[in-house]
Amino acid sequence: MKHHFLTASLAAMIAATPAVAHYGMIIPNDPMISQEDGRSVSLTMSFSHPFEMDGMMLDKPVAFSVTHEGNKTDLLGGLQDATVMDDQGYTLEYPLDRPGTYIFAMEPQPYWEPAEDAFIIHYTKTYVTAYGDDEGWDTELGLKTEIVPLSKPFGLWEHNVFQGIVKMDGAPVPYAEVEVEFLNDGAGATAPDELMITQTVKADADGVFTYAPPSDGWWGFAALNTADYTLPQDGEDKAVELGAVIWVHFEEWTGR
Amino acid sequence: MDGAVIRAMALTAAAALAPVGAGAHQLVVFASVDCEAVTVEAKFSNGKVTQQGDVRVLDGANNLLTTLPLDSDGTAVVPLDSVDHAGGLVVEVDTGSHDNYWIVTPEDIARNCGS
Repeated sequence: MKHHFLTASLAAMIAATPAVAHYGMIIPNDPMISQEDGRSVSLTMSFSHPFEMDGMMLDKPVAFSVTHEGNKTDLLGGLQDATVMDDQGYTLEYPLDRPGTYIFAMEPQPYWEPAEDAFIIHYTKTYVTAYGDDEGWDTELGLKTEIVPLSKPFGLWEHNVFQGIVKMDGAPVPYAEVEVEFLNDGAGATAPDELMITQTVKADADGVFTYAPPSDGWWGFAALNTADYTLPQDGEDKAVELGAVIWVHFEEWTGR
Repeated sequence: MDGAVIRAMALTAAAALAPVGAGAHQLVVFASVDCEAVTVEAKFSNGKVTQQGDVRVLDGANNLLTTLPLDSDGTAVVPLDSVDHAGGLVVEVDTGSHDNYWIVTPEDIARNCGS
């Protein structure tokens, strides 16, 4: 198949154009921590365009927590300032005292996006399993909006499908749009067309969506819906885009 | 550093444990430690408690220190003063059809004992 890659001039135009695929990100050093890996996980938080590796300012989140065995722990005070993709982000080293699934979740401050004339709030989460115990992998946190995994959100081979239910206020969102984007960190992926930087799938009538990635690595899923409230900006009420974001790592297939 | 110690001990433990009949679920072994004892926990990856099995405790050089049965709640307690733990411990659980291990490093003991 003939591929028409973006020319430098076109790429420059795109770079100058307000990007649309923003992603809240929580990326651990490893989504499956074994005892041989040590006793903690290293997390990097950002607000970015992951395919283009283009960072944006992530102000101090409103909330950052971990949930393990049904217990939620506030970690906001432990975030360390960091530069991620040349912009403000955060890091955190978190000890994993027991086996099981740890779900890290972030609620950022509303991000004003003039190009969209709206605020953006991405409720972001990532699942990390410790010491060979995956119990809790399908945990629903009860966030304002959330993708609840139907596929285990770690331990997936590349090309496996990932399925999740898009929820808003605890209820499935029929036919929700889900944007999918690759964290292009060192992978050198190029897009034959800008439409392929961010791919889009729709959920079914029960809010269930399905996606199979073409490669291993980190893939972000963002279900975007408009909030039932507004926020003030320059004396006007503005719409709020609520994103339910989950990051899932797919492993490289080891067979021939 | 924990990771390097654990990897070195894991090679010994993995060599000692011959693979036995693999089931659709795995045995998950974990051990926590405080100043008094090592508490061993075993369960299957489907969440079911391992109701019986043998626990073997070895030192960092793979010398067998003690054996004890797993209690019906999937736990076993090894008093720290009953074993030489200076070089860390390897805790193996063998149910006959599944086995796995957890490595208690000297750093684990120091960290959890506050020394």
